[in-house]
This record gives sequence, C-alpha cells and structure tokens, in this order.
Amino acid sequence: MLLVNHLSIVYQTTQVLNKFDLSLATGDIFALTGDSGSGKSSALRFIAGLDEVQSGQVVLDGNQLSNNGVHNIAPELRKIGMVFQDYALFPHMNVKKNIAFGIHHLSNSEQQARVEELLLMIGLEGIEQKYPHQLSGGEQQRIALARALAPSPKLLLLDEPFSSLDKNHQEQLVLQVRDILKKTNVTSILVTHDKHEATIFADKVGVIENKQLTIN
Amino acid sequence: MSVLALSVAMPIFVVALSWLFPERELWAHFSTVLLPNLISATAVLLTGVGLGVTLLGTILAYLVVMVEFPGRRWLEWALFLPFAIPAYVLAFVYLGVFDYSGYVQVWMREVLGLPGFDIRTRSWAVILTFVLVFYPYVYMMVRASFKRQKINIIEASQLLGASPLRVFFNISLPMARPAVAAGLLVTLMETLADFGVVSLFNFDTFTTAIYSAWGDFRSIEVAAQLASLLVLAAFFLIYFEKKARGQAKYYSTDVSNKKPYHALGIVGWLISLFVFGVFMLSFAMPMLQLIIWGWTSISEEWSAKYVDLIVSTSVLTVSAALITISIATILALPSCCKKNNLWLKGVISMATLGYALPGSIMAVGLLYGINQISAISVYFGAQSINHIIFGSIALLLFAYVSRFMAIGYSSIKASAEQIKPMFTQSAHLLGASRLRLIWQVYLPMMMPGILAGSLLIAVDVMKELPATYLLRPFGWDTLAVQVYELSAEGLFERAAVPALIMVLFGAVLMLIFQLLDKKSSKNL
Repeated sequence: MLLVNHLSIVYQTTQVLNKFDLSLATGDIFALTGDSGSGKSSALRFIAGLDEVQSGQVVLDGNQLSNNGVHNIAPELRKIGMVFQDYALFPHMNVKKNIAFGIHHLSNSEQQARVEELLLMIGLEGIEQKYPHQLSGGEQQRIALARALAPSPKLLLLDEPFSSLDKNHQEQLVLQVRDILKKTNVTSILVTHDKHEATIFADKVGVIENKQLTIN
Repeated sequence: MSVLALSVAMPIFVVALSWLFPERELWAHFSTVLLPNLISATAVLLTGVGLGVTLLGTILAYLVVMVEFPGRRWLEWALFLPFAIPAYVLAFVYLGVFDYSGYVQVWMREVLGLPGFDIRTRSWAVILTFVLVFYPYVYMMVRASFKRQKINIIEASQLLGASPLRVFFNISLPMARPAVAAGLLVTLMETLADFGVVSLFNFDTFTTAIYSAWGDFRSIEVAAQLASLLVLAAFFLIYFEKKARGQAKYYSTDVSNKKPYHALGIVGWLISLFVFGVFMLSFAMPMLQLIIWGWTSISEEWSAKYVDLIVSTSVLTVSAALITISIATILALPSCCKKNNLWLKGVISMATLGYALPGSIMAVGLLYGINQISAISVYFGAQSINHIIFGSIALLLFAYVSRFMAIGYSSIKASAEQIKPMFTQSAHLLGASRLRLIWQVYLPMMMPGILAGSLLIAVDVMKELPATYLLRPFGWDTLAVQVYELSAEGLFERAAVPALIMVLFGAVLMLIFQLLDKKSSKNL
C-alpha cells in the first residue's frame, strides 16, 4: 500500500502543489494529469526518491521512505520501478542486459528465464541481442517497461511514457500495458497530460488544478 | 579533404620511405644490442602510465561530475592546471626536490637517519611523473563525456537497485569508453614521443634510441626507421581503440548540472582530500618550488629579451592552434554524418599518426622531404626551394600541424560522433543546404570539441621543444627553448623564470577555456 501525505512543491517562489494526499491499495492503477508545470512529474520524482521537495511524506508497505520532503531511503533501496518519458534505456547494453540489469543478483539461468518471461509478456520474443537504437519507439517503450518490472517492484511509476508514440498505436499500447500491470498486480502511477489516455489506463484518475489534487 | 590529410601526413611518409635506404651494420647493432631492452622498457612505461592516467583521470572526472562534495566547484577547474606545466619542467622540479641531493632525501638522511637512493633507477618515479603531468588529458575528455550522459539513465539504474559503484562500472564508465580511449590514446602517444622527461630520468626508451641513432651515429635513416616503428605502435593503438568500441552507440547531447550523488559528512571530506591531494602533487607543490627558485634568480635572469620570447611564443602558439584546429574540423566533418569512406578513414588515420613522432624526427622528416623536393625541382631545371622554406615560420607551423593534428582531430571527432543522425536528417528535411548544415548544425554542436582541442593544441605548442629548437627561424627563440637551454646546463633556479611564465600562459589559456566551456554548456 502507498501513502503520500502533505506533499507541497514550490518552484523558486511559486507554489505549484499544496498538501497533496494520495492513498493507493496494492494493485491499484492511478493516473495523474494536469497542465505543464503543475508539479505532477515532480511529485513522481519525489516518490521515487530522486528529488527532494519542501514537504511531504511517502510510506510504502509500512516503510517510511521520505518525511518532511527529505528522503530516508536512497532510490536504489526503495523497490520502486520507473519508466521514463524517453525510456532511458542503456545505449551500450543490448535488450537482454537492459532487462536483466535490476536482477543481477539472480543466477544466469534465472535471469535468462525472467528475461524470456517478460519478453513473452510484452510480445517481443527473440530480440534479446538487439541494441536500443535498433528498436522502434514502441519497442523501446515496452523494453523499458519490462526492465522496470523485472525486479518485481512494489510500485511502478510511469512518467509520460506514451507521449512520444504515434496516436494510432498509442491507445492499443496503453491498453496492453494496463493488461500487463493488472496481470502482475503491481501498484502503478501514470503521469500524463492526456486525459483520454488517463481514463482508459487507470482505475482512478487524479487531476491537479489550482495546486490541489482532485480524484475522480 | 584527402589532399589536406595527405599533406599533413607528409613527414610520416618520409619516415616510412627511410626503409628504402637501409644501413645494415648500424641497424644490426641497434636491433640486437638495444632493441629488446628498449621494447621492454617502453612497454613497462606505457603500461604504467596508461593504467595510472586512466585510473586517476577517470576517477577524478567521475567525482567532479557525478558527486557533490566540499570544494568541488573550484577543484573541477583546478584539476586542469597541471596541463600548463610542461612534462620536463615537472621532471626537473621533482628531481630537484626528491633526488639524492633534494630537500626530501637530505631531511630523510639527516633527521630520520635513512639511507639515500637514486630515484632515477626506479621506473615508478618516471611513471608517476608522467601520470601526474598527463592525467588531465583523460580527465578533460572523460569529464566532457560524463557531463553529456543523460541524468535519467543514471536515475533509471538507481531505481533498478544499482549501488553507486555498480552505476559507475556498468553505466557511466562503459558509456564514457570512447572518451577514456581517446584520452588514453593521446597520453600514450605523448609518452612515446617524450624526450625531456625520460632523458632527465636516464630512462632509455625508443625516443632516446632515436636521438642516439641520429645524435651519436649521425644516421637519419636508422633514426627514421626506429621512428617508423613508433608510428606502427601508434597505428596499432588507434586500431585497437576502434575495435574495442564494437556495435554499441554512444551519442547523447544532454548536458546536465544535476549531481546524482551527494557525499555528505566524512565521505565528502575524504573525497575533497583525495582530489585536493592530486592537485597539490601535480600543480601546487611544483609551482611553489618554481616560485621559490624563480624568486631567488629573477634579478639575475630577467631582461628585455623576455619580451621577444613572450611575443614569439604567443604568435607561434595562436597561429599553430588556429591552423591545426581548422584542418582538424574539416577532417572531422564526415564523422558528423556517419559517412563510412574507407579511403578517407585511412588517410585521416595517417594524418593523425604524427602525435607519436618525436618532435625532432618530425623536423628532420620535414627537412629531408623538402630537400628531396628541391633536388627534384633542380633536376628539372627549376630553382631550389630550400632557401625559401628552411628557417621559415611556415615550416615550423607545418611541423606543429603534423605533430598535433591528432589532439585536435580526436577531440572534435568525439563531439562529432555525439551528433545524432536525426539532426542531419531534420536539417535536410527543413531544406538546409550542405553549407548551412555545417555552419548552423554541425559547427555549434562540435564547438565543445573544437574549444577543447584548440586549448590542448595551444598548450602543447607552447610547451613543444625539439621541433621548435631545430626549425625555429633566426631570432624566434621561445620560452620552451629558454627553459631547455638553462636546465640542460643544470641552472634549475634560473630555468624556473621562463618555466613560470609558461605556466602562467598555460593557466590563462585554461581560464579562457573554462569561460568558453561554461558558455557553450549553457547554450546546449
């Protein structure tokens, strides 16, 4: 279970988010929308432990990860996965190494089995040896998802991962990713500026307006 | 473009042609008596220096780019400063301080009662000197590469549970590999071509053998044949660097000032202490020694001739840097659009091999080549060109361009390779002509490499000694020549005066570079 309490964000002197509260049960898929600069990506990065903010608390499965806007636990120890807007695949590693990066503590055969399982799930079997620059945008996006899911995170954060894909495939992929997340039962937060995308992807949709979060 | 590259490579062809005129007896002497030892000594030197500069340069670059620690801002800049100290100046300072009659050993004998030793007999002493003077090559190139790594790639690996060490070894370091290789390549070539440091430390390498063949045995052919082996070694280094890259792509145009790691408390201070220690050893302490020596001898050494020395050094430095960087930029342009022309690649590789040639061999290669051209033109009834070219600035500048092309080229190429093909494609689709593409897209994006390359060339030209000594026109003494003439006579205290001016010059160049670098980072 994820709890975010009293998250406030100030950019320079302007307050963009005031006392943001959120509670998600395990397996919930939540989408957060709002205009550019509304603080939705900053909220996501705070939950991930990448940036600190003015105030806010994050509790995941009973562990207090951050308090008063400061992180108690480093990003690498949080068991939180993230899919970035431009995917952030490691350009010098092939698909297999990218996906296996977060599970290097497993034996080689276990890593291989997990990579194959994930590639099957995202419908991209047989491309283990390819490098990111040899893949299409949609393929890169799904590899980034598989990589984030490989260590079985407690929480998955998705920062506008569909925004650079073409409209025709976007909806199909949004639904595919939702299916995968439902199958794996991972709690997820999607940040997007596209309200339609948010509606078809999530169980609950939150909108940031006038510095406040409203959940529909 | 091919003509340009082939002209730059001229001294190398001349050196290769020396095999047409074998001197069997002398060559037999060199190859059986000297060569085996020279090869093993040179291998020890290259391995030690290579490992040292790679470790030190990469670790320092990583710390200043990826970690926030006390004093990072000024140390990031200060670590460039050892560039300004010529290797032979650092060598004579270290010898003066650490050798048998230096302060350190005198103190060890008189106060601690320890026995003295000759640091010239230890290969670690000469290796350490090279590492401290050459690590900035790796530092500078790897730092630029780390700065261009996307912050979200590092964040992604953090979120996948990677510790800072794993992020360094599996993400940051492999992505910076082309820059590490480029820095290492430049360092190894500089080490191969060095004469000043190895001769001061009495450490025999290929270069000292080349000087011996030429100076003691008066055989330009054997000297050139030995030099051609150096060219071969340089060729292999470049080949292995290319081979090691494999299939992966490395380009990125992001510049981020966000630090993924913050070293707090004692760890932060320990990192500061380490980085500050390197700065002290490689720059601050030698400078302090030079200042002490310079202070005691300035009244004896300073005269009006120093104005001439400064003017001629500046003119040569600026002209050589401008010409070399312009040619290097033209040669690096095909890398921007990822063109794969084998012939062009071949001639460019030849044009950049001059870096492994000792300056004096470069000079002799040029003189020998010009002499042959004159002989041919006289044979066909034309006039000899010797009197026009010998002793002219043009010949000296030619030697500098040939010698330092590799620095400019590798620096610009590293920037050019980071230009994504989509920029070329989108510029074409927006109707840009080839000239506009070069002017408005390639050149601005190559600017960090052009600036870094110009700076490196300028500092190297200013420090260059053997070619300048042999080819300088009458009345064109430089600061480097003055340092050499005084230190060769053991007048270290007086040599500190021109050495200090050179270091000051170098530091000013570094400052200009820093300002330009900051500006271009902001614009990206």
